[in-house]
Amino acid sequence: MHTLARILTVTAGIIACGGVTLPAQWRDVPTRGVPMTPAGTPNLEAPAPKLANGKTPDLSGIWDAEKRPCDEARAPLGCIDGQLGIPVGFRNIASDLQDQKDPNDPTPFQPWAEALIKQRMDDFGKDDPNARCLPQPAPRMWPSFHPQKIIHTQDSVTILHEFMRQYRQIFLDGRPLPKDPEPTFQGYSVGKWEGDTLVVETIGYKENWLDGQGRPLTEQARTIERIRRVNYGNLEVETTIDDPKAYTKPWKTRTIKLALLLNTDLLEYICNENEKSSPHMVGPGGAK
Amino acid sequence: MRHIVVLWLVGLCLASTPVRAHHSFLAEFDPSKPVTLTGPVTKIEWTNPHIFLHIDVKDESGNVTNWAIEMGNPNSLIRLGWTRHAMKVGDVVTVDGSLARDGSNLVNARSVLLDGKKMFAGSSGGTTR
Repeated sequence: MHTLARILTVTAGIIACGGVTLPAQWRDVPTRGVPMTPAGTPNLEAPAPKLANGKTPDLSGIWDAEKRPCDEARAPLGCIDGQLGIPVGFRNIASDLQDQKDPNDPTPFQPWAEALIKQRMDDFGKDDPNARCLPQPAPRMWPSFHPQKIIHTQDSVTILHEFMRQYRQIFLDGRPLPKDPEPTFQGYSVGKWEGDTLVVETIGYKENWLDGQGRPLTEQARTIERIRRVNYGNLEVETTIDDPKAYTKPWKTRTIKLALLLNTDLLEYICNENEKSSPHMVGPGGAK
Repeated sequence: MRHIVVLWLVGLCLASTPVRAHHSFLAEFDPSKPVTLTGPVTKIEWTNPHIFLHIDVKDESGNVTNWAIEMGNPNSLIRLGWTRHAMKVGDVVTVDGSLARDGSNLVNARSVLLDGKKMFAGSSGGTTR
């Protein structure tokens, strides 16, 4: 579906849906080196650029997760919080099913994990660490509300996340994974190329939530992300979750699609600047 | 040169589960308890992770209560052209929203109207004041 990526101008589709309208007047500094069409517009379907070696695809750029416009008619509290749309996979990273208790959920839960996610959904996600301004694990960073900037060199990929001003390092210098890493939110990541796909292996996670519904990730987890810059304007990431403590077998997340943002930059986002919501997050039980 | 944003137009009209950038709103607010409040803005917190407006609301008896109005994050609004100058203390606004589950004087904004204009929804349309 990447061929559907388009420069966001006013589109009839968006208007028809009554969803997100228009973009952004944040900075007008043009991105340099963008391939152009004969018509003089950015050619986002041009081939992916290469690193200086002329061979390796260059993943660098500011990327924004695929989003669905918030539908005012279906959002009981309105869309004023989801101005730029809802990232696909933000709530349910396993499948397109959005329903809270879908019997067709393909996630191969261990019994305790299934009970836990049910509890988390029944609680309306009130205990999501993310709501307490704690970072997400790496797979959950891709379907983000906020842009992320990839800086790619021969030996590493560094991802700067606007959300909570986080960074992530993926080492490409051939080092092995550590034997017994100290658990961290993002884990320890090394990557290697398989053709034009960067395959990133990560271990050493802290226990955390994989998505807004609360699929668990444990310290036993090993994730494999397959990252591919499909063309100049599009990036795709598919992650395999191998976490035998929480799941009966490895499973793949849905493919997270990201589109290149041009002529913009990251904004500051300090989650703890004014976090006042947590004390009010009481869930369905009402007052604490 | 206008800022150009590339957007995926996949599933454009599909239903979306209402969620927030930072946390589940259902954990904090009760959509079965809608409320409409009107009053002057007493304070604006243009901050992450959420913008808060504070407004004074007078009831039938003339008693004034200060309410906090929780909104989205400034970054999304900045990218839509809104700025911290879009609203000022003293502006009289009408807020449609839902009450907090814990019974505090806190509302999630579904819409904020100022002089008949819906604020912070979609593009600023050049409204920066």
